[in-house]
This record gives sequence, C-alpha cells and structure tokens, in this order.
Amino acid sequence: MDQFITTYGFLIILMMLQAVLALSLYLPLMAGQLSLATPGFFAIGGYVGAVLATNKFMPAPGTTYPEPLQSFVVWLASIFPLTATGDAYPLGLVLVEMVLAGILCGLVAIVIGLPALRLRGIYLALATIAFVEILRVLSLNLPITGGAIGIFGVPQPFPDDATKFSYIVIALPFLLLCTWFVYRLERSRVGRAFIALREDELAATAMGINPTYNKVLAFTMGAIMAGMCGALTAHVLNTWNARQGTFDASILILAYVIIGGSRTFLGPVMGGLLLTALPEVLRQAAGIDGLPQWLSLFLSDGRLVIYGFLIAFGVLLFPQGLITPDLFERKQKAATPAPVPATSGGQP
Amino acid sequence: MNETILEVQAMTRRFGGLVAVNNVSFAVQRDEIFGLIGPNGAGKTTLFNLITALTIPTSGTLLFKQQDITRLKPHQVAARGIARTFQNIRLFGNLSALQNVMVAQHVHTSSGVLPGVFGLPQARREEKHVREQALNLLEMVNLADRAHVKARNFPYGDQRRLEIARALALQPEVLLLDEPGAGMNPNEKAGLSSYIREVKEKFKLTVVLIEHNVPMVMGLCDRIAVLNFGQLIALGNPAEVQRDRAVIEAYLGDEA
Repeated sequence: MDQFITTYGFLIILMMLQAVLALSLYLPLMAGQLSLATPGFFAIGGYVGAVLATNKFMPAPGTTYPEPLQSFVVWLASIFPLTATGDAYPLGLVLVEMVLAGILCGLVAIVIGLPALRLRGIYLALATIAFVEILRVLSLNLPITGGAIGIFGVPQPFPDDATKFSYIVIALPFLLLCTWFVYRLERSRVGRAFIALREDELAATAMGINPTYNKVLAFTMGAIMAGMCGALTAHVLNTWNARQGTFDASILILAYVIIGGSRTFLGPVMGGLLLTALPEVLRQAAGIDGLPQWLSLFLSDGRLVIYGFLIAFGVLLFPQGLITPDLFERKQKAATPAPVPATSGGQP
Repeated sequence: MNETILEVQAMTRRFGGLVAVNNVSFAVQRDEIFGLIGPNGAGKTTLFNLITALTIPTSGTLLFKQQDITRLKPHQVAARGIARTFQNIRLFGNLSALQNVMVAQHVHTSSGVLPGVFGLPQARREEKHVREQALNLLEMVNLADRAHVKARNFPYGDQRRLEIARALALQPEVLLLDEPGAGMNPNEKAGLSSYIREVKEKFKLTVVLIEHNVPMVMGLCDRIAVLNFGQLIALGNPAEVQRDRAVIEAYLGDEA
C-alpha cells in the first residue's frame, strides 16, 4: 500500500482536482451553454492562492502603495504569513484562499458572463477561448503573476509528504462536496430550469424561465468551482504559471465531459478521473515486456493522439458519453410498469 | 362582463420585404374562446409569437389587462399570465412528463440554489407542492400513470395533451393554443372541442386558438378573427364571419 501511494499518490490527487474541473465545465453545459472558460477561472484561482500564500502582493522593498491600499496589504500579510521552508502552512488558510478565489472568480464570471452569454453555441465557445487566452497573455506580462516564470515555492501544508497524498484530506471532501452539489442541483428547482433551457430554450422562456439570469448563474457557479480548485491546485503543484490555463486545458476538460457523459453529474466526474489516469495507464502499458518498440513508444508519447481518437470515436460510439441518465432509469423501470412505446406520427 | 383582457393594436411585423403581420388590431374579451383562422402563411403563428414576445414587433402595441406589455421579454410575458402551446410541439423531450409540468411552475416558486441544494424546509415544501400540482394536472390529461416516462416517448396525441398540461401549470389567465387539433382524426377533434371548453371553465381561462378545421372553429369559438396575407380581413361571431365576402374569397377564391 505504501508503495502504491508513493507511486500514485500524486496522480490520485490530480485525478480528483481534474474531476472538479470537469464538473465546473458541466455546470454551464447543464443550461445548454458550451463554455470553455473553466481553465481561465482555474488560472485566476491558482494565482489567487499562489499570490496570497507567497505574499506576492507586498510592494517591492523600499516602495509602498498609496495609503488605503498599503494598510490593506499589510493587514492581508498579517493573515497570510510567509512560512519558512520546512514549516507547515496552515491548512485553514488554504481553505480561506479557496473561498477568496471562488468569490473573485464568481465576480469575474458575472462581468464576463452577462455579455458573453448572449452568444450561442460555437460562438460562446470561441469567446470563452478568447477569455482564456487573454488571461494567459496577461499573466505572462504582469509583475504580480511572476511573468513567464510564474510563482514558485507555494508554501506546503504538508512539507514532509513528498507524494502529496496528504492533500487527500482536502481534495477528496472537495470533490465529494462538488459532486453532491451538482447532484442535488439537478434535482432542484433551479437545476430543472437549467435543463429546460438546454432542452429547448424557446419553450423554456415561454414557460417563464429567465434565460439570461439562469445562464449567468450556471456559468458563475462553474467559475466559482474552477477558481476554488485552482487555489488548491497551486498548493498541490507547489508552483503556478501561465501554462495552467491554456486552450489545451479547455479541450482536455471538454473531453472529460464529452467522454464521461454530459447528461448527468456522474459523467464529468468519471471522465475527469479516468482520463487523468489514462496517461499513467498508458505508460504502464508501454512498459509491458515484449511489446514492439513502436507500440510502446506510441503508448507513452502519443497521449494527445490517443485522446483525440477517444474524443472522435467516443462521440461516434457513445454520443451521450459513457454514463447516461438511462443507466439510472433502467433500475427504476424494473419497479414501475413499462412505458407505452411511441407510435408512428410522433415528433422526432 | 365585457372586459378586454388582451388587446392587439396596429401590430406589424416585417421579415425583410415580407409583411407577415400587417397593421392588425383586435381585442380579446375575458372568458371568451377567440379563434384565429386563415390560409397557410397568413401570419397566425407570427401573431402568436408577437403576443408571447418570442418575436419583436416592427410596430404596434400589446395591452394585457390594460398594461403595455409590448417591450417585455418572453419570460416576463409568461409570468404575467399568458401561456401557450406550439404548433410543432416543443416539450422538453429528455425530461419526464412530470418534470415537464414541474418546470412550468418556475415562476410560482422562489427557492434559490442553496435552499434547493441543501434541501432546506422552504425548498422541500415548495418541491412537494409543485410535484403534487404537477401530478394533478397530469391526472387531468390522463397521463398520471406515465408521469415518469420521458416526454419524447409519448405518442403524438399524448404529447399535445402534455403540452397543454404544461401550459396550465403556469396558471395563466390567457391560454394560446397553436393548432391543438393538428394531426388528430375527426373523432379526436370532436373530443378536443369539449375538452378545451372543460379546461376553460375549470381554470377560468380566456382561450385564443389557431385552427384550420373550420367546422370545429365555428362550433367552438365565441368570436373569430380571419387573417389573410398578414391582414385582418374579418372579425366577428362565427355566423357573421361565415357570410363575410372577403373570407369566402380568401378561402375559395374570387368568383370573377
């Protein structure tokens, strides 16, 4: 077991964090909005965590901010102590960072979402990709984000655990909480309104559902989730830079949702867990003795090619993803009488 | 008891060069069944879309209970009490019949994200109430035994009835029915007339309906408006409309 955790401890934490990101992309999708902004909010959250934990917000030595801001910064620094290497960073502060990152991302999401969600389908996807790219370029050029180098040495709550598996005390409850949240949401009044918008926006508005409000709400909840996940991930990775929020990440997270299943909360979670584990599984498969060299090379280095194939064939073979709502219904049907089959003349 | 509930004033809608609805004015009285007829492409459905704000008028005014609702958004119009069904049924196909009806009670409930997620007492009470109401409505359209079947798995006629149940869940004062009898055989249509009357009495509704079947419209409606090429060519009770020269021309062509 120790051996297993040494080898896979870090991977298991990453799987959970990626599953949360998949849920954050699934939330706007629940309301029918294909938003790829999740990595952008993930990046903002990570910077919030990294900047706060490393006191990066302090002015350069010898200079000060204008007055009300300077006092605020000094007060903030008293809350977030820069711990010496080897000291454990208080776990509670990681939670505080996550909450602050969530609040900031939520506010940004409302500002971005109100104009962006007027767009539909592929246009919204493009606009959100632009948002992710703008943030990436900004973070490459701003002093507070550490430019191209990023922010190093994010203090660790578990400095003695090289495997990072100790983060499970936050990552697992966080994933379970997010999963439970979306599960409950799907069965509540607001979630039903989201799904109605996804099914038929025109009919939903004619039934009194405010499309703008509900879309922005779904988008904002996804952003809060991604931001909180970012703050935690900054600690897990020990560093944060502009490579965390990229277009590649958008596509990867979209793949989690599409392959896992985009019609029920469990799909994104399973997609995020499985696809994050996939490279490691492929690496192990590549190590099996007796494989031809080209195959083992392909398995270990062709990760993105294999993802691409999975997305293309996954969409063809399982258009609704691996986990569909029908999987749950089949159990119910055993108890209830069979439905009357559709007769001819039904609407397609 | 001759109170105007819905008034369309000089309503015009152009699509490029086509004038789909041209300067149409009429008033619907509370408690009546108002028919809207006319040949294909006369602008009947466009007029429904204008009333429910799904289409924005080029010009004209819409009054509901003496209030100007011309500039409202579709969901606001629905919340005021105007519900509709669609010519090409628009149910939420992947939701169960029960969920379809529950969705339409959105404006009559208020619990937000957190009360809903955490199952706070207020949200739980609302949810229970909404579910009971929805089941009652399904009972009324004889679909209660299949409440958990997905809407898209229902036969055509049942989908039409489910759509009416969904519209009623909005607790409207005015119900717009866009070709409720489309695709039904004469027997079913005969049943539909009495059904619409029954629903109207039970829910104290004003009904506006589009229908192609002339005998059905003549028998059911208190007053009828006839549209042709976007223009209102006749308005009155069934007997008057039947004798109207312009209407006869529109339907049968000019004798000369």
